[in-house]
Amino acid sequence: MAFTSDLDQITRAAAGDPAAVRALVNRYSPGILSLATRMLADRAEAEDVTQETFLRAWKALPGWEPRAKFSTWLHRVALNLCYDRLRKRKESLPGELPDLADTRLAPHEALDQSQRVSAIEGAIGALPERQSAALTLCALQGHSQAEAAEILEISVEAVESLLARARRTLRAQLLEGRTSS
Amino acid sequence: MTEDRLIELIEAWGADPSAFPEAERAAARAMLAAQPARFAAAIAEARALDAALARMPEILPSAALTEALIASAPKARPAAGGLRLPKFAPWAPASGFAALAAGLFMGVMVAPAASASSDTSEVESVIEHALGYDPAAFTEELGE
Repeated sequence: MAFTSDLDQITRAAAGDPAAVRALVNRYSPGILSLATRMLADRAEAEDVTQETFLRAWKALPGWEPRAKFSTWLHRVALNLCYDRLRKRKESLPGELPDLADTRLAPHEALDQSQRVSAIEGAIGALPERQSAALTLCALQGHSQAEAAEILEISVEAVESLLARARRTLRAQLLEGRTSS
Repeated sequence: MTEDRLIELIEAWGADPSAFPEAERAAARAMLAAQPARFAAAIAEARALDAALARMPEILPSAALTEALIASAPKARPAAGGLRLPKFAPWAPASGFAALAAGLFMGVMVAPAASASSDTSEVESVIEHALGYDPAAFTEELGE
């Protein structure tokens, strides 16, 4: 059972067991990096967020109480760090509109596979941050509705609403790309 | 389950009913099976987006990032048992000062005795004894 195994590894990692530390990093760093990359659309910043998330985790390990799943807690920390960075970006550009790049392809551009992928990546990056987070957690990372709700600190119904809006935007862009190719 | 609700579920969670909230899953499946044509368009649109999302490349940490994360973790504490001195003993400078003070004290005590006699060999003798050096034994070893 993942939860028990987490607890065992957390205890051993807190005592400095290198195998347990490696296991936690291998298990959770891809998800954290992926979430941060989708949210920030910047690999270097996403790596910084991943490192900061794990630093906080190492500090929290000795007193860890399994009130929440370790995975949920980690994702929540990462997400809050992403929100902080996105907020700072907006603050550093006073008076300017948020960075909502027009990811739609021009009519003459045919959508091949890689273009389609990058168009969707761009479209996810341009979504409002909570929609982007919900979509990444549920549709790309396969978190359950309850896990996503816990990470986002909202109800399952609110997750559904975020997802519906995110998917509607993406569908419209996909459709537009397809008809223009 | 209403038709509108089923459309909402498809739009939010995608074409696969197994992604729907568990409480509504069975009813949604039953309605889809009963009226496939009614929901075909919504399912097709959702399926296209699901497929596009499934093609998104996986984002994996580099080896350098993985090692950096591991290096930032807490290090193993020494095993219990046996006396282990810390790498930096806070009392180490104090012991140095104590040794210095003892040396000065000895010097003060010995110096007047040495100066009281003008005989340098007596001073040398005091120093030799303090160092644990026996000149008689030394001369014997030399065969003198």
